[in-house]
Amino acid sequence: MAELTLRKADQPQKGKTWPKPEGATRLREFHVYRYDPDTEDNPRIDTYFVDLGDCGPMILDALLYIKNRIDPTLTLRRSCREGICGSCSMNINGLNTLACTKGMDDSSGPIKIYPLPHMPVVKDLVPDLTTFYAQHRAIEPWLKTTSPTPEKEWTQSVESRAKLDGLYECILCACCSTSCPSYWWNGEKYLGPAALLQAYRWLIDSRDETTQERLDNLEDPFKLYRCHTIMNCSNACPKGLNPAKAIAQIKKMMVERKAA
Amino acid sequence: MRETVITKDTIANPRSHYGDARASTRHFLTQRITGAINILFLGLLLFIVVRVAGQDRTDLVAVIGNGWIGLPFAVLIAVVAVHMRNGMRDTLEDYMAGSMYRLTMSLNTFYCLAVAVLGIGAVLKIVFWG
Repeated sequence: MAELTLRKADQPQKGKTWPKPEGATRLREFHVYRYDPDTEDNPRIDTYFVDLGDCGPMILDALLYIKNRIDPTLTLRRSCREGICGSCSMNINGLNTLACTKGMDDSSGPIKIYPLPHMPVVKDLVPDLTTFYAQHRAIEPWLKTTSPTPEKEWTQSVESRAKLDGLYECILCACCSTSCPSYWWNGEKYLGPAALLQAYRWLIDSRDETTQERLDNLEDPFKLYRCHTIMNCSNACPKGLNPAKAIAQIKKMMVERKAA
Repeated sequence: MRETVITKDTIANPRSHYGDARASTRHFLTQRITGAINILFLGLLLFIVVRVAGQDRTDLVAVIGNGWIGLPFAVLIAVVAVHMRNGMRDTLEDYMAGSMYRLTMSLNTFYCLAVAVLGIGAVLKIVFWG
């Protein structure tokens, strides 16, 4: 259901401006969303200054600089720091992306950092992804077969395997789903671009033998057809994948099935 | 449209459905087909509009009264009404839920039906009775 305004208690307010690092000559200003569920306070936007002479080039480097040197209470997820794990996805200067692969020199002026949009916030830059993961579970992201298990392995031709390129690389960072207005309005019913990309990955896997069942499960005005081809997902994907195309392919499979 | 509370278990269940599953692909297909037909027929409509520009009502009635123009025009109105209802259904599904959705969808259906009946009736009257 569409929510066009924030509740008063959810509206971010101007927060604290932290002191500049002493002796720094090259400073970059950061405006970071802060929210602590343990207090009654509204979310706030704190201002930090990062010494570029003593910090790596990526946004994640700057956030870790802030956490380690200025404000240890800043909370964020991070792990691999090289675009593999998808933990540090957040909204940076209005675009959902990974903090570890986003360079500070990609933009000028203060850098604004928020958690992924339209998700419940656990704390600061950490969104609650429970629903997102439940949606991933709903598409049953594993091989489903009906024929007897082969002695060695389920084989696949090189051509069939190539069809999975551009799909299997998804790291479930949720940048695409949380950039989608349809997902914002119907986040519980619409599966979202990330889950649907994975759904298509299993639909076209030559080894999977439950394609019709998978299509039956997806055939729903909300689960699939809430995609209005807005394309924010493809714009946002930090791995350069194209969830919108995968969703279009699922719709095509649905139509072909109907016409058959 | 179901009004039950959606839990995490409901979301994670592959067999959960939140709307008319059987009709969803039909609605999607109908919307695309009527959209494509609209493009064709709107070409005809534009031609007629240009053709009758500056002419008086008698000439206008004569043009629409021609069965080769009036009957496709009636079909255009029907197709536009179907397309309009489906398009608005998409919007209502986005922004409404529960009883409010059912109410607005009923109004949508009634409005589209009224447009179709009145429009087609008017065109057929001109074609068959002048």
